[in-house]
Parts: sequence; structure tokens; C-alpha cells
Amino acid sequence: MLRLLLQELRFRINGIIGWGLGLSFFPVVYIGMYPSFAEQMAIFEDLMDLAIYQAMGISMAGFEGFIASTVTNLVPVILCIYAVINGTGTLAGEEDDGRLELIVSLPIPRWQIVAVKTVALGIALFIILAIVGAGAAITMEMITISVETRVTSLDVFLSLLAAWPLAMAVGMISLFLGAFSPNRRIASTIATVVVLVSYLGSNLSGMISSLEKIEKLFLFHYYESTAQALELGQQTDNMIALLVISLVAFGLALAFFQRRNITVGAWPWQRGVISK
Amino acid sequence: MTDYAIETKGLSLYYGRHRGVLDVDLRVEKGDIFGFLGPNGAGKTTTQRVLMDIIRPTVGKAYIFGKDCQKEGVAIRERIGYLPGELSLYNNMKARQFFKMYYSLQKNNNDPGHWQKLADRLGLDTSRKIREYSSGNKQKVGIVIAFMNKPDLLILDEPTSGLDPLVKQTVMELVREANQAGATVFFSSHILSEVQAVCNRVGIIREGQLVATERVEDLTTQHFRRIRFKFAKTPPGDAFTQEGVIETSRDEGGITLEVYTHLDRVMEQATSFGITDIETIPVSLEEIFLAYYGKGNGGNNA
Repeated sequence: MLRLLLQELRFRINGIIGWGLGLSFFPVVYIGMYPSFAEQMAIFEDLMDLAIYQAMGISMAGFEGFIASTVTNLVPVILCIYAVINGTGTLAGEEDDGRLELIVSLPIPRWQIVAVKTVALGIALFIILAIVGAGAAITMEMITISVETRVTSLDVFLSLLAAWPLAMAVGMISLFLGAFSPNRRIASTIATVVVLVSYLGSNLSGMISSLEKIEKLFLFHYYESTAQALELGQQTDNMIALLVISLVAFGLALAFFQRRNITVGAWPWQRGVISK
Repeated sequence: MTDYAIETKGLSLYYGRHRGVLDVDLRVEKGDIFGFLGPNGAGKTTTQRVLMDIIRPTVGKAYIFGKDCQKEGVAIRERIGYLPGELSLYNNMKARQFFKMYYSLQKNNNDPGHWQKLADRLGLDTSRKIREYSSGNKQKVGIVIAFMNKPDLLILDEPTSGLDPLVKQTVMELVREANQAGATVFFSSHILSEVQAVCNRVGIIREGQLVATERVEDLTTQHFRRIRFKFAKTPPGDAFTQEGVIETSRDEGGITLEVYTHLDRVMEQATSFGITDIETIPVSLEEIFLAYYGKGNGGNNA
């Protein structure tokens, strides 16, 4: 099992480094440029009352609000794209391109294949966030002198790491969809819709009272990208909720992959029927 | 049950409402080199995938070495070398890395250098990335991973597909050597001369159903006989027109008949025209195969 895990990580290493460094661009640029236009930010504060910005969870009042609205708001959303690509690519993608047949023909139980790929996905997401967090923290250290704030570089680092349960939940839902649906294209389409609806729905539910009743259905409801969360961290019950969602998705992925006819590309209800 | 390397009982598999295989009762004895014949879409790959527990049957059971392929798939696969028909590899890896990885994921790791010997015999440069290989070389990679662990059972789906004649010969040698070392080999192929050369038993699958399972020599001698007669006096055109007999050629040198049934009656009739020479012409497996498919009547071509 450990050998398979090491292989899975080896396959992902380029993606991890690429996404880690690429995603670091956001915090480095946003944090790094803040001192040069901090005074001008006041001009935009009125704009922040617009519904479109609220829907996107953007509130740039002060440095903490700016970082929360840009770095800790955007990075998890973009990381969710990686989670969708990787989650659906892990089982469905490998099945589509035929490589899964070779792995399944090895003397390895199917549950181990799913478990190993889940752990590899989790590690990949964590390392990417750690790289991004490190980039943000280093940039933060460099501008500390010119910005007045209670937020430390460690706060920024930890707030980015705290996006892991959200990204993992998206990754696991994608993995489950890959084990459930006929092919990767369908799985990734559904997963992308889930992410977009969750993101917009979570932000809009604060403004539209009718959405409040269903706000708990949105994944992003369990992740706060606010100045307060930057300083105090994510709520424990929200993180637990995301981990539970991940576990449920893992269980479903296991159940469906266990029964899946590899190479066939069919919905579960399209299993063989003896014609009369 | 344990006497068979492979056994299926009433194996049927549908893809939705489309037929994969239908009521297949297959038995491959330990030590056999078993050729699995059939045209595209007949159900060869489906059967092999069920044996590997890659897909599950709609009804019926499949056993390997007496163990249920679905319930004890992991234990079974420890003893199998498998070459898929639609081989997809990790293109970004060098062949050497891929072999090491694949070997490390196997259970019966008893000869870590064997893959290199196999690659050398097949003339495969393992220092190159798999994406740089031609389709023939990728097929060689598949051959190596199937044989690398010296398995007790080899399940090979069109193993010589895309290979040049010399390499094909090497692959057939590998099959024979593995068999001599005690392995059972179950392989599908379209190249019937190859099957005839290496297999001791064959199964013919048509439209998902197993229509024949016989020893190769029985199949080629019992299905029909091709006999060429020379006569003292030329028989009339309808002399051998009867059920179970086809006159395939007639010239000054004599008459060639394919006799499916009533050989004794044919001999009586031939004798009445004064036989001056008689020759039995060997029937190839290809001809038998075509006879099974020729008129879609399960082999009763006459």
C-alpha cells in the first residue's frame, strides 16, 4: 500500500509544485502590492457595498479585509479547480485513458486503490496550500514594516492551511463522482457546478433571505474568508462538517468503485440486464 | 473444480441491454496453452476482463485455480500475468521506471532482474520514455509486465498485435517456455496460424457464445476432411452431391471434396468410379475458424 502511495505522489509531484508555485502568485502579488496603494483603497470602500462584490465575498475595509477578500477568498476557490481536476482525474480520468485497467489487474484490493488515491490527493492539497501559505507568509514578513495590522505572517499561513478541509471535500466529491458517473467529462462538469453553486450560493445566502434556509447545503458555507477568520481561525464545527462531508464522499466512492465495471463507462443503474 | 486453471459456469454479461458474453461454460486445464478465438466483438476481451475481475458478470461464475474471481480476486491476481487488449501506459515514465514500479506492486516478487532479461529478448530499450515508443514497442512493454513475475497463469489479449514477425516469434517462444515451466496460458488472437503453432487447445467464441472447445488436432481432423481423389473414369458432376459433402474443385487432376459427414458413403461412391489415387489434405485452423463463421450456423457448414 505504501509503494502504491509513493507512486501516486510521484505522479502528482509536478502538479503539486506547479500549482503550489502558480497559486503563490496571488498572495505574493496581493500582499506585496498592498502598501503601495493602501491609501487608495478607501476610494473603493463604497463600491464594496455593491451586491456583486458581496456575492463574491469581497470586503476590502482595511488590510485584514483586503487579505481575506483576495488571498483567503480566492486561493481556496482556485484550489478547488485543482481538486476537481485531480479528484475526477484520479479514478474516472485513469479509467478513460485506460491506465486503471493495469492497476486493477494487480493484486491490490479496490478499496486500497481508492484509499491510497484519497490519501495522495489529501497530501497533494496540503502541500500546495503549505507552499502558497509559505509564499504568503514570506511576503507578509517583507511588508510588515509598512502596514499596520494585528495579523501576523503565521496567521496568514494558518488561514491558508485552514482551506484544506474545504479543498479536500471538493476533491472527495469529485473522486466520488468519478467512481459514480460514466466518464470524467460528466464527473468534472457536475463537480464544477457543485463548486460554483456552492461559492455563489454561500455568498448570496447572506443577502437573500430565501437562500438562508438552504445555506448549509453550500460547501463554502463551512469556510469563512473574513478578517475575523484570518485572526481567529476557522470555526471548529465548520471544519468538522467539511471533514464529515469528505468522509461520506470517500465512503460513497469506495462503495461505487467496489461495484464498478472498469472500462465500461456506465452509470451504476446501467449494469447488465438479461434480455428476455 | 480445482483441476482447472480457468472455469466459467453459465457466464453471461450484458452491457446495459447489449450482449457481452452469453452462457459461457469454459474450462481451461492446468498446463494448457489455450487459444481463444473469435472476431472483433465476439466477447474475448469481455471474458478475459471478467476473469481479471475488471468487470463483473451479470449472471454466472468465473473461477481461477478453483477460486471465485470476484470473491478472491486479489489472491488470484497474485498468480496471473495479464496483458490487456487496449494497453494504456504511463507515457511520462521511462520503461525502466515503469517496470520497477509495476514489479514493486506485484506480490510474488522472486526475480527482480527478470523484466530486464525479457526486455533484452524483445529488443526493448528501457532507458527511453514510454511516450517515445512506437505502438509495437509499447506492446513489448505490455508483454514484459505480463511475464515479469513468472506467473502461474498468463492471460494475454492479442499478445502479438502490432509486433513484427521476428518479435512475434520471440513472444511465442516466451509463451512456450512459460508453459514448459508450468504456467497455463490463455490467450486470444486473430492470427490463427500462430494459435495452431503454439496452442494445444482452442475455444471459439461467436456472438458471445462459446461454440467449440477442442484440442487443436481434434478440431482440425474431426471437423471435416478434405480429400482429393483421382479416378479411372470421371464421375458425373452430381456424383457427390449430398448432405455433408462439398465438392470444392474438379479438374483433370481429380476431384477435391470436403467431407463433413457420411465418410463411408463417400468412399463407397468414390470406389465405384475406380480410385487411382487418394490424398488427405491438411485442414488449417483458419479454415475451421472460417467454417464456424462462414454461414453462422455454429460450424455445421455442410
